[in-house]
Amino acid sequence: MAHDLAKIQEIINRSPQSPGSLIAVLQDIQREFHYLPCEALEATASSLNVPLSKVFSVSTFYNAFSLNPRGERIIRICQGTACHIKGADLIQEQLVAGLGLKPGETSPDMKYTLEVVNCLGVCAMAPVVVVNDKIHGGVRCDKALKLVKKD
Amino acid sequence: MVQMTINGKVVKAPDGEMLLTVIRRQGIDVPALCDHAAVEPCGSCRMCLVEITREDWNGWKKYVTSCLYPSENGLIVSTHTPELQEIRRNIMDLYLARCPGSELVQKMAEEYGLTRTSYKTIPEGDNCIMCYACTRICEVLGRNAISAVHRGHAKVISGPFDDPPPDCIGCLSCANICPTDVIEWHDQDGTRAIWGRTFDLISCRQCGKGIITRDFAEYLKEKRQIPADYFEICDDCKRVELARKMGGLVDLAKEVAS
Ligand code: SF4
Ligand code: FES
Ligand code: FES
Repeated sequence: MAHDLAKIQEIINRSPQSPGSLIAVLQDIQREFHYLPCEALEATASSLNVPLSKVFSVSTFYNAFSLNPRGERIIRICQGTACHIKGADLIQEQLVAGLGLKPGETSPDMKYTLEVVNCLGVCAMAPVVVVNDKIHGGVRCDKALKLVKKD
Repeated sequence: MVQMTINGKVVKAPDGEMLLTVIRRQGIDVPALCDHAAVEPCGSCRMCLVEITREDWNGWKKYVTSCLYPSENGLIVSTHTPELQEIRRNIMDLYLARCPGSELVQKMAEEYGLTRTSYKTIPEGDNCIMCYACTRICEVLGRNAISAVHRGHAKVISGPFDDPPPDCIGCLSCANICPTDVIEWHDQDGTRAIWGRTFDLISCRQCGKGIITRDFAEYLKEKRQIPADYFEICDDCKRVELARKMGGLVDLAKEVAS
């Protein structure tokens, strides 16, 4: 996928042009495109003077970064202990069937990405589903699909 | 200089020198898989763990990787307590599960009485122990062609985007430093293959043997000011030539003497 190189460069230029900015820059790129395009990794490497191998290493290490395009709406189902006990499996079943996506997949129309995470640190709200950055607690499995589609 | 106690013996060492170096100088054999003189320590294998404490720690103690822990005054170091040996045995047990095919791992594991792992072996695993010696030496050379990519079980040493690394110059430093010999390469018909790339080899003008990849030679000439004709003859032929010259000298000397 071709990306606006000028846009990428503009994002990179927001941070000090030194190796120490690597993670901050990757986070900004991730926020903009919902993933890290190859061109962006190359531009980051040359701008910040970090070897491309290291940029790739960091990009593949953190869960917060994705190298594959992700949908507009990123849905994370918590499968941590508390959420699991409160029926996260049932929610997952509903969403997998309703969206036609397995965890880790993105719909062809780039609308939805389904992911599974382990404990978001808000166990009191279990079971939890996160849509983009919005946390939904006490999710009911019969309402889950409607929830992720509407909000 | 600082003063420490290692296994009950008072030892002096330069301030800040890594404990592993000091310990080894004492003739004490602490196992280490990721330590190598050519690269900075990275503390990945955990085999060099030692126990440290101090008089004023009131019996409190901790385990540190000796390859990464700088010497300091008053440290009391133990290298082979039963607890440490047990930890090392466990580490080798895990390595055996990860790299069952590595002779080095097998040999070291045997020293802890392990002939087979008590864990499940990784079926599709290779013999990489993730010591990063290869990526560290590549960094020392200034190429940074390869790095550790992905995370957890999926982690492998690879080029950017999992492609053949464009910055590789086929120098073989990674393959040579690898303790478990997992980096594959081969020379054939004047070329060298490594990391999915193929390089031209410069052949010895005299015997025709491949000496070095053209890319590596260029890099050395540029970085280390090595004379342009340095790589035209291989080391073996250079030695033969030198011996011939020396032989000539000996004959000359004999002539002069008689
Ligand atoms: S390939 Fe060899 S040198 Fe590189 S990390 Fe694995 S074991 Fe260490
Ligand atoms: S288990 Fe889901 S938030 Fe903790
Ligand atoms: S030698 Fe210290 S951790 Fe490997």
